Amino acid sequence: MATGKNPAPKRFTSDEITYLRPVSSCSGCGDTKVSWSLMEGIRRFNRELGLKGRDRYELIYAADRGCGNLQGYHAYRIVDAIFCMGSGAIVGDGIKESCSEKQIVVTASGDGAYNFNISGIKFAAKNKRFGAINVIYNNYNIRMTGGQTPLEINFNKEGTAMGFDVMHINPFRVNDNAEIFKTLYRRYLKKEKVMVVADGVCAIDNGKNAKAEGIKLGHFKRSEACLDLKFAKERERVAKEEPEKLKDLPRFKCRLCGIGLRCHALLNNDPSMCSGCGACSQFPCPVDALSFEGANFLSIANANGIKDLGDMHG
Amino acid sequence: MAKSKMFDLGRMRLSGSQSVARGAIEAGVRVTSGYPGAPISDLQGSFDQLAGNIPRNNPFTVLVGEALDEAVYQLVSYWGTTSNEDNAMGLALGAVIGKGDYKKREFLTEEEWDLIYGETVFADDKEKGIPVGSRVMCSFKHLGGNTAADVIRVAVNAVPYTGGLSIASGDDRQGTSSQTMQDNKILFSFHFRIPTLELYSPRTAHNTVKNCYCLFEELGVPFALIMNYDLSYREVSVDPIMELDITANQRRKGFTRDPKHLVTIGPHIRPKEKKYHSELIPLFKIKIKEYFEFLGNRITTYGAEPRAMLIVNGPFREDFEIVNHDPDIKERLESKFGDVLVMETDIVFPQPDSLFDELISKHPIQEIFVFEEGYGQVIYLQLLDIVNRMGLDVKVFDCGIPFEPRIYERFSYIDYIMDV
Repeated sequence: MATGKNPAPKRFTSDEITYLRPVSSCSGCGDTKVSWSLMEGIRRFNRELGLKGRDRYELIYAADRGCGNLQGYHAYRIVDAIFCMGSGAIVGDGIKESCSEKQIVVTASGDGAYNFNISGIKFAAKNKRFGAINVIYNNYNIRMTGGQTPLEINFNKEGTAMGFDVMHINPFRVNDNAEIFKTLYRRYLKKEKVMVVADGVCAIDNGKNAKAEGIKLGHFKRSEACLDLKFAKERERVAKEEPEKLKDLPRFKCRLCGIGLRCHALLNNDPSMCSGCGACSQFPCPVDALSFEGANFLSIANANGIKDLGDMHG
Repeated sequence: MAKSKMFDLGRMRLSGSQSVARGAIEAGVRVTSGYPGAPISDLQGSFDQLAGNIPRNNPFTVLVGEALDEAVYQLVSYWGTTSNEDNAMGLALGAVIGKGDYKKREFLTEEEWDLIYGETVFADDKEKGIPVGSRVMCSFKHLGGNTAADVIRVAVNAVPYTGGLSIASGDDRQGTSSQTMQDNKILFSFHFRIPTLELYSPRTAHNTVKNCYCLFEELGVPFALIMNYDLSYREVSVDPIMELDITANQRRKGFTRDPKHLVTIGPHIRPKEKKYHSELIPLFKIKIKEYFEFLGNRITTYGAEPRAMLIVNGPFREDFEIVNHDPDIKERLESKFGDVLVMETDIVFPQPDSLFDELISKHPIQEIFVFEEGYGQVIYLQLLDIVNRMGLDVKVFDCGIPFEPRIYERFSYIDYIMDV
């Protein structure tokens, strides 16, 4: 119980009825990229401390409702608690009261639910007993229910006033963000309070904004070193020369990038499906086969010297 | 082996709110949250003093505080910092779902355990122990039930992870300090459908609170404790000997993942909702019948062949107690109702239907008179349902009062019962 690994037997971990309402995030969804970075961050944190097995720190993720969090549950299984609207932050602080010292609680909400959560977020900032990492998935709108405009928010002013150190991240810089979260877990244990605003997480909006600005987005590129490409060729050869052996071959070899980033374009090896987020250019491919050609959400923000796409597109 | 510590605190005056605090502390409650408002502030203030957040300034908190210090008791209190009832309840919900420890089964059979825990990540436990964590109490005045409704309702979808959580509601049914005279029994019983008890005396409330924690924690369901305005504030002299459940207080902490129960999305909650209605509430009724007296309820028969049954709940119950001490009143009871069976209850919801079936089969009962305070008629309506559903040949009468009289308007409930 309360160990580093999920104690649930397999038959309970698989959610056989969730398919009734499939959740499939866009290939360039920034939410999924933040989820990857959160998970990768805790792995790197444990590795840096040399912790193994039961000694490892464990990420507990208490979320609010919304696409930013449901993707975390459906795609990554990192979400441990979702209750009612506006409860993510305060439930997270409740969990801190009863979880073990080896469990780090991250709370999250979208920018719409931020306003709903604000008293809980403020509580987390003022509670001297624990640290706080509060992630905001910032779409600049209420994406899940149709793109309504939320109350105007200035996270820097509001977060600082509440007592947080406010930090903006570009969700598509997945590797940088994993390093950032690694550092934040350490700060959490020192009872520091950090609000992480992941700006411009919505791939659809980012794509529209780029188009409106006359920017043509590029697409991912795989080199010959890609294990999957090599394996695909091998499958082709087997299909042609030894078809009876084909059924014994796995369908793919690696796919770490596609699965890690939950990217349909990478999984299908189809650049036409690429939304141009550019997250793959930061993905730690084991054979360094992944790159990006042309403009992407990440490079646009870099080139403009701003932290996020939202600032640029107003 | 279970650890407990006893402390004789000597004679002191205790209000209803303090008695509930006493019960929670004896049960080993580790986390309390709340939002202030008359008449419940005294309860939360007691926790805040006992936790050392503010100075201990009355005999109850000073003496109990010393006992807690000596026992190295763990208590965290969030009072005004949880900035509304919704937040207080959210914190309580977060604190109770962490199940890092086990306790042995005391109240459940193996089959009942399978029903409650069989679909959780603890299902493979061969001992069929009870996954437990911090015991938690959240409290607010009656209006807070509206503010916190979102979280309380969703807490029902997290059963059995919400076992060990109580919600104390101070009802202002007399409109002394509120904009409504709300009867929260209807909220907790018919809307949230969690076990609900109306406490009746500062002398006994602590026992009910403590025993509710024991039973409902195993059943995996939160429970509601309701006090009216009078009970919250009224003090009586008592000689408290406190027995602290140190084992419960100092359980191992830990959060165990079980998203199927803790991520409340449609595919997860739909089967759970069905199960809660059709299997768990019936089980709660059975267990409430089995542990009827343990939960502070009592059945007394006056005469050999009772044809009437009185259900006296909450404040009616306290005034009714005089029957056992005053022969004139007892004579009035007998002349009014003849042979009569009296059910003195704390339990408001769910009513144990099989117990009524049993009593009505055993005795020639023809009429049931329900005495409860508040406009909800919660017990009366359940009794009507039981009688209709089970085809029992009895009539049920609503003899309740839809509000709580103010102190200067207060009339004797025992006279009211005799004159009904």
